[in-house]
Amino acid sequence: MRQPPSERIAKDAIQAWKLVALLWLAVPILITVGLFLLAYFFDFSYWLGVIALILSVIEGLITVFLIPKLRWRRWRYQVFEQEIYIQHGILVVSRTLVPMIRVQHVDTKQGPVLKKYGLSSLTISTAATTHEIPALLEEEASDLRDQISELARVEQDDV
Amino acid sequence: MSNPKRLHPAAMIFTVISSLRQFIVAALPLIILSIGEGPFIYGVIGVAVFSILLIGYGILSWFRFTYVLEEDQIRIEQGVLIRKKRSISKSRIQSIDLTQGVIHRIFGLTKVQIETAGSDRDVDASLSAVTFDEGKYLHEQLKQVNEPNIKQQQNVNQPEDPSIFPSRSISVKRLIIAGSTSGSFGVILSLFVVFFSELESVIPATVYQEVTGWIVVQAIEILVGLAIMVLLFLWGIGILGTVIKYGQFTITRYEKELYITRGLLEKRQMTIPLKRIQAVGVKQSLVRQPLGYTTVFVEIAGGVQDNNKNTETLLFPLLRKSEVVAFLQEILPEYEQVPTDFIQVPKRALPYYLLRTAFVPLVAVIVVAVLGLEWIWIPLVILAIACSLGFARFQTAGFHLSEQQLTLQMRLFSKETIFVKQRRVQSLEIKQHILHRKQQLANVSPSILNNFGGKHYLVQELNQSDVERIADWYSYQKD
Repeated sequence: MRQPPSERIAKDAIQAWKLVALLWLAVPILITVGLFLLAYFFDFSYWLGVIALILSVIEGLITVFLIPKLRWRRWRYQVFEQEIYIQHGILVVSRTLVPMIRVQHVDTKQGPVLKKYGLSSLTISTAATTHEIPALLEEEASDLRDQISELARVEQDDV
Repeated sequence: MSNPKRLHPAAMIFTVISSLRQFIVAALPLIILSIGEGPFIYGVIGVAVFSILLIGYGILSWFRFTYVLEEDQIRIEQGVLIRKKRSISKSRIQSIDLTQGVIHRIFGLTKVQIETAGSDRDVDASLSAVTFDEGKYLHEQLKQVNEPNIKQQQNVNQPEDPSIFPSRSISVKRLIIAGSTSGSFGVILSLFVVFFSELESVIPATVYQEVTGWIVVQAIEILVGLAIMVLLFLWGIGILGTVIKYGQFTITRYEKELYITRGLLEKRQMTIPLKRIQAVGVKQSLVRQPLGYTTVFVEIAGGVQDNNKNTETLLFPLLRKSEVVAFLQEILPEYEQVPTDFIQVPKRALPYYLLRTAFVPLVAVIVVAVLGLEWIWIPLVILAIACSLGFARFQTAGFHLSEQQLTLQMRLFSKETIFVKQRRVQSLEIKQHILHRKQQLANVSPSILNNFGGKHYLVQELNQSDVERIADWYSYQKD
């Protein structure tokens, strides 16, 4: 079996993902609050609110404390001279090979959450697909971007 | 060479027709509403004003549309309210297609479509009507820079003398078989039903009642007979549609491109440069497979979309399975390698295949059984069909590797065999979930480019070691 790629993504990715998961937690919490308000003001059973509360707590525990860690542990990449090798996924593990001569362009991106942790994401596009390495240290990402675009500058045969 | 030229005046007709088409969808409900309500005269006035506007627009846009053929580019200026100028450099042009509709043929005209590599429609240009000679001249001029040695080829590119290059045409008998097995039947049936349900509201109530009254009193035999006749009629329309669409289908192989002409009423020419072909496929639908017939298609990058739902471009409407190899040898020798021994999906993958198709019917059976309903046989039959489909998919799935070519075999409903060259695969993905990892199974999904952005093939639950072999074959990093 092919060895998994060697490089891990930045450790702070876990923190960033946790933050994003916390922000998303607002949705189930709002629903729960809504249900309780309905129960308070109208003739509406409290049970629904209680169930929603329990579900939100479970959801929160899983998405904040479990998933980011597992995701980070699986995420690996490796940039060879002629191709990029990416592995990710928690339950379904996917490994992708992207040849350098197929790479059309490379982008780095940084949203507010990633900026807070000094990270940025790297997107590699071929003519038919796009692949993202989600969280790298800023400098690392821009170095890697330049490196890949240098390596990808080999003679592009048609399409 | 540098004078701006206008299109043939008949282009106005096409402008009017195409803007009519855009308006009719919006206007139809209004028209239907206005029928029967209010004085008739208003309707007439409305239609008259509308037609004058349309015709005026047609004339103006014809007047404003000019094109200039220059040394290394073609420049097009158009637009009534918003004026657009576009230059397309000759070296960027991928293909030039000439299409003749019925109206074109009456006036001896042709439509010229100029395509560039991107899948962006706006970048391409189309001259809706020029004389046929002008079309040919443009075709020749625009191609010259692209391939300097095309001169000789252009001479034989004319219909008079295609005999030097390998060429295939479809026989009428084949065409009829293709039509009768095309499966367009279902589409036409649904159109027919929609049409009649609409018609119901237009037919006067008395006529409608009389007809339904007449039908109700008829014997069951007559009704069945009527139904069969209607179905046969629809089937016939389907065949006719195929014959019109693919009549006189001819494919010719030139040095660097494939050239297809087809159509009885609307004559279409299509040029497929070989370097744009991303993959070749052989497809056998459920109806055609037992009869031993197949179709051959290609996936091409950029350019024409026949109609939005289908990205595949037909290379031949109907072939016997045994003829495919000979056909490819002659027309597309790059892909002549048709393997016969496929590496199959291992037995332990069968449960996944069955579960995927049978899951929903199984749930239905359980629900019905729990409720204790009488018609449990309906979900049971569906379950049986689903299981056999799952088994058929399991049996079909497989792959074959050669030095340059990956051949995949898979089935959704139709059995498809796809030939892809290693350098046409844009990226390769291997997927495994937890159970797969325990059982040493893996899914493999190569992506290729086509005129819709990309196509991602998928063969599920192959042996992990086989998938690793595909990855090694694909990998550019040989170590």
